[in-house]
Amino acid sequence: MSAYKALSKSNGDKQEAPANGIKKNKQRVLILSSRGITYSRKDAKLDTKSKLYQLNELAELYNCNNVFFFEARKGKDLYLWMSKAPNGPTVKMHMQNLHTMEELHFTGNCLKGSRPLLSFDASFDKEPHLRVLKELFMHIFGVPKGARKAKPFVDHVMGFTLADGKIWIRNYQISETEPSKISTSTDSTDAKPKVKKNADGKETEISLVEIGPRFVLTPIVIQEGSFGGPIIYENKEFVSPNQVRSEIRLKKAGRYNQRAEQGVERLAKKGELGLRTNGGRKAKVDELDTGTLFA
Amino acid sequence: MVVKGKLKMALVAEKEVDFKKLNLKKKEKAARKKKAQKGGDKLESNGKVEEVWEDVEEAAEDSGSDGDEEATESAPMQIDFEGIDESDSDSSAGENDQENDLEDDEDDEDIPVSDLEDLDDEEKEDMIPHQRLTINNTVALTAALKRIALPTSKVPFSEHQSITTSAPVVIEDVSDDLNRELAFYAQSLSAAQEGRKLLKAEGVKFTRPTDYFAEMVKADEHMAKIKAKLIDEAASKKASSDARKQRDLKKFGKQVQVAKLQERDKERKTTMEKIKVLKRKRQGADTETTNEADIFDVALEDETAKPSRKDRIGPNKRQKKDEKFGFGGKKRFKKSGDAMSSGDLTGFSSKKMKGGAKPRPGKARRAAKK
Repeated sequence: MSAYKALSKSNGDKQEAPANGIKKNKQRVLILSSRGITYSRKDAKLDTKSKLYQLNELAELYNCNNVFFFEARKGKDLYLWMSKAPNGPTVKMHMQNLHTMEELHFTGNCLKGSRPLLSFDASFDKEPHLRVLKELFMHIFGVPKGARKAKPFVDHVMGFTLADGKIWIRNYQISETEPSKISTSTDSTDAKPKVKKNADGKETEISLVEIGPRFVLTPIVIQEGSFGGPIIYENKEFVSPNQVRSEIRLKKAGRYNQRAEQGVERLAKKGELGLRTNGGRKAKVDELDTGTLFA
Repeated sequence: MVVKGKLKMALVAEKEVDFKKLNLKKKEKAARKKKAQKGGDKLESNGKVEEVWEDVEEAAEDSGSDGDEEATESAPMQIDFEGIDESDSDSSAGENDQENDLEDDEDDEDIPVSDLEDLDDEEKEDMIPHQRLTINNTVALTAALKRIALPTSKVPFSEHQSITTSAPVVIEDVSDDLNRELAFYAQSLSAAQEGRKLLKAEGVKFTRPTDYFAEMVKADEHMAKIKAKLIDEAASKKASSDARKQRDLKKFGKQVQVAKLQERDKERKTTMEKIKVLKRKRQGADTETTNEADIFDVALEDETAKPSRKDRIGPNKRQKKDEKFGFGGKKRFKKSGDAMSSGDLTGFSSKKMKGGAKPRPGKARRAAKK
């Protein structure tokens, strides 16, 4: 709690504390990527992959208390780091099945900067490491109330679901069919719409339209500090994509080895039978051979 | 060591409580392991653990240097250093060194894996050599969580806007796309409904008014592209269905045509036969044999068959042709003019010669006349 307070104070978002003394949820996220990611601003890239702790300094520089870092490796693997700067924890995840909005052609759309509803699967509360993950998602994907560029309406929902040991993330537009003008007008004008809402009674139907992107995260490691510190969680089920690839290669190599071995065996067998011109055992001279008979 | 700034101090300060616990745990584990078996050099490792915090910073890196190894040692879980020598050919060189080291270390900590070591080589080959073991330091995790957790229960809902489902979402088969997405959709939908209720209860604006325009996540061009794509898809679908219909029609139409032709053929045959019969009857060859029913029958058929026209086709045609092209006799000079033909004036008309005949009207006029 004290840490939370400290973070709130050091936050860059200029927000006046509400009069009733409730602490504001203040989050600022530093989003960066390593080289090798094309879908981002070209200039802002972190050069190093080995000195990620530099991100802490960067976060401090920009008054951020969250770091969201994409690390591309070999141009084919994408890792995602989420960290609470400066004190941690840090989560490293492997990102798979990433489909950008550009690729997906979903018809959903929402305001840029509107605050999302975050929907979590109840499975997130089952294990401590999942709870840490949930908290981080909440900080990083949630837009704090009164953030500078935030829009005043809620028109999309982000779903975080746990399945198969992975976290599946979806983004939907909330579309309200037959949006009654009365309800919206009361919304925007009334200071205390509670009573009226209840009196109104009728609610518009909610349906969702997917916006994208889609991706799946596999948690790998949780560190106690921010880009440092002891590892407090490690996922044994995670198999690194390198390993998968190398196993495939090994399998192929195994096939070749088998064939090569067969070849050698065949040669040896032929040698045993004296069927080879050089090497191996010479065939016994048969007395009935034409060569010996008519010598 | 690098940058031993306030960050590390803060980290250490944060960690202090846990660390003591962890250390204790570690010692316990080491003792257990010592009992279990293995060389005496384990003790050494215990001694080394004390300097754990020197290399915290490096732990995140994967350089594979000394610092790296030490860093892995610094992991709060018990690790023994034999593991490092025991590297079983690591294929992912340079990639996840740190993790691999860790997992190697873990290998001999876990009893089932060490049991597996006495398997014969053949079976071992089939094993995945990098069986990772979960480090799950619950105490540290909960501590970390407590450190960062938002007091979601205390602050109003509009501060965090996060909703957790009441029951865990169960997805039986993740490769079943439809059902999986459906589960995701249902989860988000219920969250949206609940969220709206909560937000409206707190008096926070929810619905975007239709006349509120602002920058969207997807720009207009993007949406136009999506629309174009949708239209394209619909058009191609329609085109393909049209083509199929046409194809079917063609196939069917041909069948109809063939059937019609066959029917006509059959009709012709029957009528011909009837005509023949009729002719024979007229010649009176077998009128005696036909009874009344036959007569009646034929007469009826005759009526429908219109024999008069068909009748002419047969011998008449030949006759005409013979007349025209000749049949038998000399054909030479038959077409040349002679006294008779030149004297024949049947084709001559003075009226026509004087231009009395109206010239043929043009195409458009002829068409208009129709």
